Amino acid sequence: MEERLYDLIFICRPATPEEEIDKLITTLETTAGERGGKIEKKEKWGARRMAYRVHRHREGYYVLMVLRSTQGDLVHELERRLKVNDAVIKYMTVRLDEDMKRQKRLAQRREKRASRRPRAARPHGHAGGEQAAAAQQKE
Amino acid sequence: MADETKDTQQQTPASPASAPVAAPATSGAPAATEGQPRPAEHREHRPGGHGPGGHGGGGPREGRGDGRGDGRGPREGGREGGKRGRRGFFRKKKVCRFCVDRVDFIDYKKPEQLTTFIQERGKIVPRRITGTCARHQRWLAEAIKRARNIALMPFGGAR
Repeated sequence: MEERLYDLIFICRPATPEEEIDKLITTLETTAGERGGKIEKKEKWGARRMAYRVHRHREGYYVLMVLRSTQGDLVHELERRLKVNDAVIKYMTVRLDEDMKRQKRLAQRREKRASRRPRAARPHGHAGGEQAAAAQQKE
Repeated sequence: MADETKDTQQQTPASPASAPVAAPATSGAPAATEGQPRPAEHREHRPGGHGPGGHGGGGPREGRGDGRGDGRGPREGGREGGKRGRRGFFRKKKVCRFCVDRVDFIDYKKPEQLTTFIQERGKIVPRRITGTCARHQRWLAEAIKRARNIALMPFGGAR
């Protein structure tokens, strides 16, 4: 299986002590490491207001982890761990590599187009039209 | 060529200035087809008339007001010159904000960027109002739904 990129995001109860959250993060990291995954990024957003109430909480402690893995089972395992943990009130995993691939492709295409035509000769979509209009104004 | 003039008008939202420009260009059409402008005119009035009601109900939220404001300014201008048929009405096309900024990916983790595209009750604003292009609206909807899932954005009204 090719390598995939996931966003692993979970919310803890706001009253959870910081050490416990850190502990949870490290356990997730080691689990990921054991199974051939890699945590690329860990971000603690801290307590922030949630858009709606979850388990009667209005606030939650958000943690974001970016996971790179070739093993799909790993996601299941990590989610199971989050589910089991009492401090976690909500979690979500999103597969992002396809979006990133698309983003890269689009950026490349635009770059190519820009290099081919430094000054847009004829309008192309919104951006092209804009450039053409700008060119006209200069004249 | 016509597109370009449109674009320049979008950039400068001075509707009174742009109104006379489009007027002579389209004035020929209704003269040729006398019957056509009528239904077009009716249709014009409906969204305009419906707008204030919807707007009042929606409340003075910045996000939605933004989208509506963009749409309604030119529409009213269009109504004045609306006798000249459809082209005068659609003269000011709304432009996709994501296309202008050349956005390739809409991040669900930045709800503050998405709030402009939801209504007060949490609904995703349709693209006919915001002017977002189909592709970006698709990405936007995806991002909003993801954000909802993790409580970054509301499903219903903000409680």
